Amino acid sequence: MNIQQNTVSENNFEQCIKCTVCTVYCPVAAVNPHFPGPKQAGPDGERLRLKRPDFFDSALKYCLNCKRCEVACPSNVRIGDIIQSARIKYGPKKNTSLRNFVLANTDLVGSLATPFAPVVNTAVSLKPVRFMMDKVMSIDHRRVFPKYAHGTFTSWYKKQAEAEQAAFPKQVAFFHGCYVNYNYPQLGKDLIRIMNSLGYGVRLLDKEKCCGVPLISNGLYQQALKQAKVNLGSIRRAVNEQNMDIITTSSTCTFTLRDEYPHVLSLKNDDVRDRIELATRYLYRLIQSGEVTLKFKEDARPLRVAYHTPCHMEKMGWSYYSIELLRMIPGVEVFVLDSQCCGIAGTYGFKKENYPTSQAIGEPLFRQIETSGADLVVTDCETCKWQIEMSTTKKCEHPLSILASRLA
Amino acid sequence: MENTYDVIIIGGGATGAGVARDCSLRGIKALLLERSDISTGATGRNHGLLHSGARYAVTDGESAEECIRENMILRKIAAHCVEETDGLFISLPEDGLEYQSVFVEACRRAGIRAEVLDPEEAKRLEPAANPALIGAVRVPDGAVDPFRLTSSNILDAKAHGAEIRTYTEVKELIREQDRIVGVKAYDHRAHREETFYAQVVVNAGGIWGHGIAAKVGITINMLPAKGALLIFGHRVNQMVLNRCRKPADADILVPGDTISLIGTTSSKVPYDQIDNMVITPEEVDILLREGEKLSPQLAYTRILRAYAGVRPLVASDDDPSGRTVSRGIVLLDHAQRDGLEGFITITGGKLMTYRLMAEWATDLVCRKLGIHQSCRTAELPLPGSVESREEVEKKNRRKPVAQRRSAISRHGDLAARIADRNSIQNSLVCECEEVSIGEVEYALENLSVNNLVDLRRRTRVGMGTCQGELCACRAAGLMGKKDPVCAKKAKADLVSFLNERWKGMAPIAWGDTLRESEYTTWVYESVCGLSDETEKTTVQ
Amino acid sequence: MKFDTVIIGGGLAGMVCGIRLAEAGERCAIVSQGQSALHFSSGSFDLLSRMPDGTPVSDPMVGVAELERIAPEHPYARIGAERCDRYARQVPAFLREAGLPVTGEDRRNHFRITPMGKSKATWLTLEGYLRTEAPGQFPFRQVCIVNVEGFLDFYPEFVAEEFRKYDITCRFGTINFPDLEQIRQNPSEMRSANIARVFDHERNLEALAAKIREVAADCEAVILPAIIGLNRDDAFAVLQSKVDKPLYLLPTLPPSIPGIKAQQALQARFRALGGEYFLGDTVLSGELENGRVKQIYTANQGNIPFQADHFVLATGSFFSKGLVATPDRIVEPVFGADTVFTSDRSTWYTLHFFDRQNYQAFGLRTDAELRVMKEGVALENLYGIGAGLSGFHPVQEGCGAGVSLLSAFYVAETILNSRKS
Repeated sequence: MNIQQNTVSENNFEQCIKCTVCTVYCPVAAVNPHFPGPKQAGPDGERLRLKRPDFFDSALKYCLNCKRCEVACPSNVRIGDIIQSARIKYGPKKNTSLRNFVLANTDLVGSLATPFAPVVNTAVSLKPVRFMMDKVMSIDHRRVFPKYAHGTFTSWYKKQAEAEQAAFPKQVAFFHGCYVNYNYPQLGKDLIRIMNSLGYGVRLLDKEKCCGVPLISNGLYQQALKQAKVNLGSIRRAVNEQNMDIITTSSTCTFTLRDEYPHVLSLKNDDVRDRIELATRYLYRLIQSGEVTLKFKEDARPLRVAYHTPCHMEKMGWSYYSIELLRMIPGVEVFVLDSQCCGIAGTYGFKKENYPTSQAIGEPLFRQIETSGADLVVTDCETCKWQIEMSTTKKCEHPLSILASRLA
Repeated sequence: MENTYDVIIIGGGATGAGVARDCSLRGIKALLLERSDISTGATGRNHGLLHSGARYAVTDGESAEECIRENMILRKIAAHCVEETDGLFISLPEDGLEYQSVFVEACRRAGIRAEVLDPEEAKRLEPAANPALIGAVRVPDGAVDPFRLTSSNILDAKAHGAEIRTYTEVKELIREQDRIVGVKAYDHRAHREETFYAQVVVNAGGIWGHGIAAKVGITINMLPAKGALLIFGHRVNQMVLNRCRKPADADILVPGDTISLIGTTSSKVPYDQIDNMVITPEEVDILLREGEKLSPQLAYTRILRAYAGVRPLVASDDDPSGRTVSRGIVLLDHAQRDGLEGFITITGGKLMTYRLMAEWATDLVCRKLGIHQSCRTAELPLPGSVESREEVEKKNRRKPVAQRRSAISRHGDLAARIADRNSIQNSLVCECEEVSIGEVEYALENLSVNNLVDLRRRTRVGMGTCQGELCACRAAGLMGKKDPVCAKKAKADLVSFLNERWKGMAPIAWGDTLRESEYTTWVYESVCGLSDETEKTTVQ
Repeated sequence: MKFDTVIIGGGLAGMVCGIRLAEAGERCAIVSQGQSALHFSSGSFDLLSRMPDGTPVSDPMVGVAELERIAPEHPYARIGAERCDRYARQVPAFLREAGLPVTGEDRRNHFRITPMGKSKATWLTLEGYLRTEAPGQFPFRQVCIVNVEGFLDFYPEFVAEEFRKYDITCRFGTINFPDLEQIRQNPSEMRSANIARVFDHERNLEALAAKIREVAADCEAVILPAIIGLNRDDAFAVLQSKVDKPLYLLPTLPPSIPGIKAQQALQARFRALGGEYFLGDTVLSGELENGRVKQIYTANQGNIPFQADHFVLATGSFFSKGLVATPDRIVEPVFGADTVFTSDRSTWYTLHFFDRQNYQAFGLRTDAELRVMKEGVALENLYGIGAGLSGFHPVQEGCGAGVSLLSAFYVAETILNSRKS
């Protein structure tokens, strides 16, 4: 298939009736006047680009692909998809800056870094190193780098967990993503603990690559497509051969596997799409069906958490499940923050040119967090977590980590 | 003497504008009178097809030859009005391939490049073409923007001393014995009658020329044939698509600027109905049904509007379809034909041959005036097409990308005259078509704009997907800024602009178009509180 | 997912219905396809401004009583004049409770002023916006109309032209400063919402006040387009306190700051009452069982349907796709419910844009309790409210907001009553 030929199908952009609601909810247009705004960059621009490709405006790169325009649109226009597809179709074909390569290749960089995690973590936190990264690679020196774990989740899993998983009566497959694998294996361990307590064994896919979202946003489409194909192949085998559902802990990975593959990479996945879901939704479903019950500690100390809805969670409309799950935990009081972008958008906020935009976008959220009186922030997205922890005084956790810590 | 000219041209279509330009280039003092705005008749109500002539090659070799010659000239002199897209004549299974060989042979006879393509190659060149096609011929068709073309001729005519009076309607031809010596006209803006004198009056009124001639008892037997067209919301095809068969309904799909156009139907209308074109649901159905055969995508592409023009064909026989009538140029010297000196009619022809028509008419004017100047309109580029694309690009660097591209495609090298010094001038009035405040101001100052509809013809304000929903009031606001009188007029103008837009939308108002209309109603009637306080007469 | 009531559509009608139910302790969910038509609001809510024949209405309740007699298909007639009256009297307090301070009476229309200076009869107007008791009875003889330079969605000259008819002298004041210059870098986003963001900052609001004092120095009063207070509720009060003369807001073209504020306030109120608001989700289908809606499926929630005792269809008219027009009919897309329309498309509209267009009165066929019909039978637990109803011309009759509000009140009451019995 020729990925360059992809446009959003069925002239979806024509459903735009220029009501301009999207422009009100675009976090970028609100702070960065160089971004033409979702309506102009999306449906309006698409019409012009169909006239002549040279109407493509390189400022489309400022779109952080949060899809909040799509959530706001009363006409169901896939504005974000139109913009991403335009970048693929009309944008620069070669995008091989070292910086973008490093940021995009979470897999490669992660597997290089984890064996030397202590050294790498110390290094990237050092001022001179950050200064060098800023100057040489245009990675903003103010950005706090996520820490790498010493040893990957998969290596731990193979050594410590794999053997016993097969013994459980039911099985699910876990798409762990780069964050769990390289930065925070503990979340994967938490998930396994929860699932095991409910009688579910957790398996890994036979081959998992980075979902591709950083590759897509850094213009490395061919590589994204290649990795997507590997992932879909593994997912299909898990679903078709072992009848396993695929669960995930990252809202962005989930969104990418389910929606960006077909909409942006033109990779059909309808046969398995419904089998891929966030672990919180999976758990909610199991609990609601009465199939399982979670057993919590009786006397846990009260905890007030503020839930932050990541953009792609908002787009999927699934924050309800994570929040409901948190509400089931005795002693946990949940306060839902206004749904707004934190500004990081994956690798976007790491780039020197985007740093001020990124922090300006997140500012109202940071303010609400600081004044919320919450003990900690909870969210389903790892990059939101980095941004919140860097930009506020609060710690930020995944809902499953809270859940696991409160299991009896 | 005041109000005295060498020549008075009646009609501000492409032909009239062409005559005005040609005359003024030859040093003839010309006055052009137009009852409405320029290019409001058949000029602005056709496909905007830069005919290669191929369509007429089989049936009318003479027209075909005229077309291809003019086609090549327009590419040179009106580069900024033309898009060199080339066209495909596709044969569908139901058409067979027999016509193709006849067609190709006829094209070659007429001097039209006609290249038979392998069906696969044709589909690759134009992915929007019906994939069922069994054959295709590539010809040098293209797209031409009639509004720009006319406006450019007007600009050049003015630059060479011609006087252009729009909204001035000729009511009477002044006759002294066997000679026409001038006209009485009504100025619709100043609400007064005026008299103009000239040695020669050129009737370039298109289909309305019939009525003008009739004022002095001369019969030109015009056959008003209505042709309806549909505009689609975006460019579906990049090459002109034709059916390779005997010309019929709805068999041309033209990419024009941001949109694509399908047309036309053909039906005879009574002469007294030519100002009152209403599109019927049946016409919409025919256009869609046939259009889908050219490009199946049309089945699910949003339609922006429907409209109809009246072909100014001179009837030689009583053919009800109006199709086998020659589209050849008709130049009538009424001195010879009717014994009335000082009056000539130029009609027939088509948008493609406007320049040639103007040349013929001007040659005759010259003969009557005893002027020996040869025509230069085939060599001298029109304003906007003088400088090369690269130079133009350089001069417009300050404009944001999409605005720059749009402004250049609309105004050619004149785009540099659109102010872009500051962010206010670069702010968009029309977001669909990328029309900036600077461009609106430029048009208001330089392009004889009297109202919003005129502004639309000069700049594409309100021609995009939303059909003026956002931009009409903004443009009206800019027009109303000048003084209290302007504010009052601009508000009334806004109402007629919205009526004019709606007229084209109503025949196709379902789906997203109806949604858009409902939204527009909320904005203008509810939020802004506008209402139509004028008499409900046909907007002229 | 199990709720007491699920409301499809999160515009004015849907949210008001949801709030009424949640106030009474119902567990409600609202599923909304996107942001609603409130984003184009004028800052006022109409109840009834004109009768179907175009006669102006001064006392909406007299008009409603008349509608009951002459237009039995009109939603007000369905609801009944007595109930309409009762609900209408409750609405102002209800809106204030939700953080929308409105003024106005249901027995006497007042007049709002449009971005083009026209006076339109209306029922309730948000505080801070210019309103008069009768056309032309302005609280000033002379006024300064202030606008931001390059802001194209508000028309000082048009306003002045209308005001002049009432012998009001208008001056113009244009405002510009560096932060506005900044947003103008973007050629298409010089819009009310972006400008309002600038004035969310204290220093800019302060600077705005100073500029207004300067340009309006010798004027009685000041008119400002609604370009303040997007993310702060006190913007108007703060600005008024810093400007030494009366300040009045006028609405702008969309996006409408008062509309966005109304949307956010109602949404916040609904959530504060425990309601669940699902934004950006499309209801794909409804499952019927024994003449009732059993559950609905949405694009986002996939295999997890929404279940409820009652469902409310508040999906609006064409704009929000509650009604879909094909070339030959009007379709309700979720349930395939019965709709009222004429079959010949040429009767849907006239060629004059500002005429009363028949299509605007098309909509859901309902029974007296506003229960939605399918194949001629009313579905037991599915109610229709708001713009999707048939039998009225929201714009010509000036009753769009009123129908949304009152039908929402009515259906909420019907649902709550059914709980009691």
